[in-house]
Amino acid sequence: MSLITQAMRGLRASGPLRGIPRANVERIATILVLVWAVGFMLWQGAGFTITLTTVFAIWAILAVSLNLVVGFTGLLSVGHIGFFGIGAYTMAILASDASYDQLRTESIPTPDWPFFAALPIGIAIAGLVALGVGVVFNRFRDDIFVLVSFGFAIISFSFFLNLRELTRGAFGIHEIPRPAFGGWVLDGEVEFLAFALVCLALVVLICWLIVTSSFGRVLTAIREDEEAIAVFGYRVTHFKLAVWVLSAMMAGLAGALFASWTSFIDPNSFILLESMLLTAIVILGGLATIWGSLLGALAFVLLEEGMRFLPFLPPEFVGQARQVVLGVLLVVLMLFRPQGLVGRYQL
Amino acid sequence: MSARTSRIDLSEIGNRPRDLLAIVLAAAVVGYICWAISQSPQQALQFTFNGLSVGAIYALLAVGFTLVYSTVWFFDLYYGAAAAIGAYGIFYLRSGEALGGQYQVNDPTVNVVFALVTAGVAFWALRELYGRRLRDRFGRRSALGLEAFVGGVLGAYMGVVLAWPGDLNVIFAPAIGLTTLAAVAWLVRAAAGKLTMRTDRSGFAVASVIVGAAMGVVVGVALANAGGSRLYLSWVVACLLAGMVGLAFYRGLYVQIIRRTNSRLIMLVASLGVLLALTALTIIVFESAPRPLPEAFGSAPWQVGGATIKGFNVFAIGVAIAAFVALLLLLKRTSFGKSVRAIGDDEEVAKVVGINTTVVIAIVFFIGAVFAALAGVLNGHDTAIQPRMGLIMLLKGWIASVVGGIGNLYGAIVGGFALGLIEQFGIWNLAGEWKDVVSFVVLILFLSFWPNGLLPRR
Repeated sequence: MSLITQAMRGLRASGPLRGIPRANVERIATILVLVWAVGFMLWQGAGFTITLTTVFAIWAILAVSLNLVVGFTGLLSVGHIGFFGIGAYTMAILASDASYDQLRTESIPTPDWPFFAALPIGIAIAGLVALGVGVVFNRFRDDIFVLVSFGFAIISFSFFLNLRELTRGAFGIHEIPRPAFGGWVLDGEVEFLAFALVCLALVVLICWLIVTSSFGRVLTAIREDEEAIAVFGYRVTHFKLAVWVLSAMMAGLAGALFASWTSFIDPNSFILLESMLLTAIVILGGLATIWGSLLGALAFVLLEEGMRFLPFLPPEFVGQARQVVLGVLLVVLMLFRPQGLVGRYQL
Repeated sequence: MSARTSRIDLSEIGNRPRDLLAIVLAAAVVGYICWAISQSPQQALQFTFNGLSVGAIYALLAVGFTLVYSTVWFFDLYYGAAAAIGAYGIFYLRSGEALGGQYQVNDPTVNVVFALVTAGVAFWALRELYGRRLRDRFGRRSALGLEAFVGGVLGAYMGVVLAWPGDLNVIFAPAIGLTTLAAVAWLVRAAAGKLTMRTDRSGFAVASVIVGAAMGVVVGVALANAGGSRLYLSWVVACLLAGMVGLAFYRGLYVQIIRRTNSRLIMLVASLGVLLALTALTIIVFESAPRPLPEAFGSAPWQVGGATIKGFNVFAIGVAIAAFVALLLLLKRTSFGKSVRAIGDDEEVAKVVGINTTVVIAIVFFIGAVFAALAGVLNGHDTAIQPRMGLIMLLKGWIASVVGGIGNLYGAIVGGFALGLIEQFGIWNLAGEWKDVVSFVVLILFLSFWPNGLLPRR
């Protein structure tokens, strides 16, 4: 009997935790995050809320798509940022308006495509890479899968940084255009936010369709017992590959949105640590629920932006402080609630 | 008979393409290396040397991984942070004088935290190892008080070491002197007992303590006078710190998780949280820009047969090999090593036989973290240090342990050196930044075709 367990038991028996059954943690967490979000928005006003919500939409697309792989199929991937980066770089390379000859480095081809021409290409390339990677990764499971996905994140970063002819390396790519419907360019923040939210809704819808279909049930069965479902005649590898590719394509969409929104990308947005943070968000929010990923992404964005207003924290350390809090939260959750805040499955 | 042969045939048919591929790939690698050597012997020599010196670092990490993996069956991601803690420990202790005081860091919070960790670990170690004896002799309450007192003193000592690292040789001299006393006394007593075969040893005990004390004083004084030893003492302190933090994480966190769920992935995610938090804390304390470590000896390049060799790298390889030999002796020759292997075979049975598995695994975590920190230190002296260095080293150590064969110590050592060499020869005509890609390809090849590695576990 450890001290912590005893303390928890004592708290539960006598203290403030009495009368809170375990299942209610979900409801309380949800309400807390939502109240926090609304309060924050009221406090900060419209302008900041719009930025915040856009960031949330991009992270949420990533988290929901990663949850398909981690939560529903049971493959713990820490390399999702690679597909995000592929989507972003495809968008940047194909759509950038910048003429690099002025900028002292070797020129890269800038086809100067519109956003909506580059978007499907970005998604398709993310999907194709995922297909190639997935064929190799499919045979691995558990901690070996973590290892290879870890490696994938590092390798994709290495490609973004070192394929200078294509990605301009550490200089990054500038002047990535906003989406435009004919003559109507989504230059305003509100318009872009609306577009991002539509994308998020679309992704959530697709994920929901996948999860509630028979395809989704096979995925859950693979997660629970791969051999058993294979005995029933399902081709496990095909299912895993399909969900991996779909998830990567959604991440590619998020990447394209991100590139277009910030209008400048460099490899530092796609480092391994960000990928680990993403996995942490998914686990934090809750595995195998779409709502959990949305909640996790919301809590994550609020965490970062909330920390900007802590008086004792220097502004340059906000990102690090967020990472510390997230790491500690992850450890605490693994101790007391391994399925995450609203999760339906634990690793 | 026929059934048996047919079974063998079937398995051989199943394996043939893989074996063929292995042979073809191995032949290609050998041919490629021969071609490389014929192209430019100097470059081949240079790359071999570079590969060995990088490989020593990978092998250190891989040994740490393997040691832990073969007892608890999970990869501890904390080692990425341990490598950074080791390297930044040196930076922290030696930032005052060696770099012209340019980046002087001395954070009271850091000192207090590490002092507390030291106190906690010392308290725990005393309690686990000598707790029962102390309780029997002094009673429960005074035993607890004594343990807390010793822990507190050691913690305060660590705090002093961290707060005034400028005179590390003077501050650390008593500790080294006492250690020498204990070691020499034990040696003398054991040797005298063996030589004379007498059972009454009280006279020997007094004599050995006197000899040990004399040696301890000599060593302590010599150390206090040798100012140049500060850097290498910092190595010891940094590795100790990283090891103790690893031990504390095992005892404080992983044991709790093992008790609750037995899922390896949950432990992996928890150690991911640890890694995230510690990396971010390192950045907060030391900023994210790369920093140089003070010059170790042998930083001047030598010319050997057309290759440029840094004396420090030779020294690093030597240190790594010495560490491996010490570890292998520890594991093969002592009862501790026997218990480690017993736990690796079956933890439950080991418990039944009376092995204190928690203590043994905690020590294994300590050793693993020390090895990772040593790798971080050696790497840091070779290149600059930065807070995120641990992540890439983590991956390389992981790959090296896969290449060598997961769970096999010799495999980890061989795998580390092999990975270093493959990486160097793989970027023969490419720029150096592609070596991560090369090692990733190696990883995928090994996992796909030889998942048991070069030297499979048993």
